Amino acid sequence: MKKYLYLSIIPESLIASMLSPEEFGNYFAVGSRKRSRGQAVFFELDSSQLRDVDLPWREMDARCVPHPDGTPKRSVYLSIYRVLERVPLEAFKDLYLATDDGRVLALQQGAYDLQHDERLHFYQELCPVTPRVVSTLTPKAFSQFITGGSNTLEVPKIVFCNLILRSLRHDPDSEDIGELPYENIGHLRDCLREVAVAKEKPTKTVERQLRGEIMYRTVKDGYFVGEGEHILYYPMPDRSKLEREYYEWWRSAQAPKLA
Amino acid sequence: MTETIFWMAGLTGLIALATAWMFTRQMLREEEGTERMRTIASHVRRGAMAYLFQQYRVMLIVFVAMALILAVLAFGFEVQSRWLPVGFLLAGLLSALAGFYGMRTATAASARTAHAARTSLGRALRVSFRSGAVMGLTVVGFAILQVVFWLWIFNQIFPYSDGSGENLMLATTTMLNFAMGASFQALFARVGGGIFTKAADVGADLVGKVEAGIPEDDPRNPATIADNVGDNVGDVAGMGADLFESYTGSILAACALGAAAFLGAGDMQWKAVLFPLAVAGLGILASIAGVFAVRTREGAGQRELLESLSRGINLSAILITAASLGIVFLLGMENPWGLWGAVVAGLLTGVIIGKSTEYFTASSFKPAREIARQANTGPATVIISGTGFGMISVAIPMLAVAAGTLAAFMLASGFDLMNLSMGLYGIGVAAVGMLSTLGITLASDAYGPIADNAGGNAEMSGLGPEVRGRTDALDSLGNTTAATGKGFAIGSAALTALALLATYIEVVRASLIRTGVTLLDAGNGLMVAVGEASLRDFMHYFGVHLLNPLVLVGIFLGAMAAFLFCGLTVQAVGRAAGKMVDEVRRQFNEMPGIMDGTQEPDYARCVAISTKAAQREMMLPSLLAVAIPIVAGLLFGVAGVIGLLAGALACGFVLAVFLANSGGAWDNAKKYIEEGHFGGKGSAAHKAAVIGDTVGDPFKDTSGPSLNILIKLMTMTAIVFAGITVSWHLF
Repeated sequence: MKKYLYLSIIPESLIASMLSPEEFGNYFAVGSRKRSRGQAVFFELDSSQLRDVDLPWREMDARCVPHPDGTPKRSVYLSIYRVLERVPLEAFKDLYLATDDGRVLALQQGAYDLQHDERLHFYQELCPVTPRVVSTLTPKAFSQFITGGSNTLEVPKIVFCNLILRSLRHDPDSEDIGELPYENIGHLRDCLREVAVAKEKPTKTVERQLRGEIMYRTVKDGYFVGEGEHILYYPMPDRSKLEREYYEWWRSAQAPKLA
Repeated sequence: MTETIFWMAGLTGLIALATAWMFTRQMLREEEGTERMRTIASHVRRGAMAYLFQQYRVMLIVFVAMALILAVLAFGFEVQSRWLPVGFLLAGLLSALAGFYGMRTATAASARTAHAARTSLGRALRVSFRSGAVMGLTVVGFAILQVVFWLWIFNQIFPYSDGSGENLMLATTTMLNFAMGASFQALFARVGGGIFTKAADVGADLVGKVEAGIPEDDPRNPATIADNVGDNVGDVAGMGADLFESYTGSILAACALGAAAFLGAGDMQWKAVLFPLAVAGLGILASIAGVFAVRTREGAGQRELLESLSRGINLSAILITAASLGIVFLLGMENPWGLWGAVVAGLLTGVIIGKSTEYFTASSFKPAREIARQANTGPATVIISGTGFGMISVAIPMLAVAAGTLAAFMLASGFDLMNLSMGLYGIGVAAVGMLSTLGITLASDAYGPIADNAGGNAEMSGLGPEVRGRTDALDSLGNTTAATGKGFAIGSAALTALALLATYIEVVRASLIRTGVTLLDAGNGLMVAVGEASLRDFMHYFGVHLLNPLVLVGIFLGAMAAFLFCGLTVQAVGRAAGKMVDEVRRQFNEMPGIMDGTQEPDYARCVAISTKAAQREMMLPSLLAVAIPIVAGLLFGVAGVIGLLAGALACGFVLAVFLANSGGAWDNAKKYIEEGHFGGKGSAAHKAAVIGDTVGDPFKDTSGPSLNILIKLMTMTAIVFAGITVSWHLF
């Protein structure tokens, strides 16, 4: 049976599995007995690009074997600490977004050619830290800012996504918040106002850590993996494409989380 | 001439049934879509039929038991007509038959509507609306045929040409008792259906959305089919039986009041009985014309769809307004303009109640939007705001009914407050006027669950976004028509109950005659023959005035009955939903393949649980609805019963409007947020609105509609047991 390597973003961990990405996403979200539920975000990794990386390969070979009844091994945790920083960008394959009830959407890497007319941006950092910040920096500049080595508060590598701001991206005082589901909009406005006028301060933390889950429908352009000058971009399909081609996932992603 | 009009009224009933049959054939010729669509539709159809047959089994026992009790009253105590057990069973049977046919059509139409939506919005609207019209036309068809049939039978046995007019009066008051069969059927359909639908809905939501995190209408949810079945059970069979009762009751009450008002007036008495029948018959033709006028263009928005539906309903209303003017002159009625005015007053009352309901519940108006805005500050303010708007919303319907009643009374009585008999006849005619276009108003209500199920079918079958867009537009329209339909049902129930209350004294008169009482003490030493006594004489004889403690106690008990019944039905939903939650949890736990789509849930078991729970839970509230007027009669006599009915009517009407409108407003406030306002789906405001909607669910779909039945059934029970009340009472 083929073995896969997955880098889970929430929580950060490296996992070996004999399940294909879609099967793994479903398993990761709802469990083998389908009694649990929870969102999952993970990358499939190219193991050929990881040979030089210090990872417990022997452990993987020993434990990631089929069960006695012949069923595939679902997951073997290989590492749960500082995994992202050890994985080279070349090893990142597709990104998978699993909903609470186990529907999985695959995102492929695309060329970073984003044009931005707005001055204000809103980012959700996902790994290795999870604050939510507003910034005047574009995704690429933000990635460089936080991983480029010129900042005292930085990480070696980062996974993040940008979030919709609608009219607030131009005017933090706009009353037309429409479908923005963020809690404490007043605080978000304060942060946007502050960062808009402070030339020496390009970012401002809105929330110190991710609370609950990522609301997929609020993701604007897509997901980014940044390391200094380099950035990988996983564009999110637009709404009409999600409606048309990935309807089951999109419906599930929009289902209200009531608990 | 009068004979021709009588048979023409019967003919309109046959036309209604023939048109319903034609619409059904047309709908069945449409394709049902893909294999998946057919499978889902067959699950819903089987579930709906399983529910109906289980309900009919229970009903059969109750109906046989009740018929035996009525037989004892008729043959043993001789306080009732010997025709009552048969008439009771026939009315129940016809109501059940209309419900069965309507449900079969509605459940066959949903997949066909979804399939039609794959090519055209207009075609989908035609399939769904005409399928809804099957319920409306079957109800009015059976109801008018039943009235014509019994009038004809009684004329063969007790010819109306007896000269005194007493035979016709006795016939109409006796026929009125038969409507109790329709009341009983409505009780089962409305209360049982209301508990079923919300147990399934709440159960599906609590486990599906909250615990398993799956979206609404997801085929992996074991309760999703029960939820879809519930829409049909509540809004097709339940609403149909409710309005069958109102329609039959209003015609029979108007006939009885007409026969009483024109007692000894020769031909005019027969004409007064014929007039409401003729208005109802013309209303059927106007409704059919209205149904054909409902069509729309491709790509129509929400407003256009609503306009096309309104076009049909308005056309029917205009036609019946003109036609009833013609018939009042053709019959040569006394005070023709006044009687026509009463018909128009009834029609206008219905329109105003419908518009008021739309204003207080639709998301395009201030109340629902304001509740949505309040969701920004949490669930508590949602509940407070919805409760407030619900309370405020009772003002317009109450004022409309009050103004309509007063206008009908004054116009029919020639602005003579002392002319009680003509004034009350006017109220009866107004109720008939309001319900005259029931064929199309019920169509627009029964259309709601068809469109809703079509949307669910499109979702579950994974049809394309353009198809879902069309079914969503139809579904959204269905939500509005369902809310206004509920308002109309409540308003018509109130007016019908008012007409029935007025008839109660006529039944008491008949009971006194039957039990051998010939003279009444009308005060001041005056003795009046029972057959000739006026309503005022009766009020004096039974002491029906507000200073009589028996009347006051009756009023308090009536108000209590409304709240008690309401509370019991709300609690019943909670218990039944609990059972559904347990079952859905069990299936998710024991059948892990459900979540990854490799195993099909046991939908039938969820339907069976909801069915069983509904039948069991409805027993206590139903028993109370029947027992309270009988016990009140045995304790407090006629005065107490009149107080009881007045209290239950006033309180029940207000409570029903409050429950239906607050529930509808919460529902649409949630939908408004889901459209992308105040944070949209998943926001804190949305979560707060979902709580409001869940609280409102049993309000608008169980307790509110069930109160319609309570206020009518209590009056019907009082009417049927009037003979006992007159003969035996403690005080």
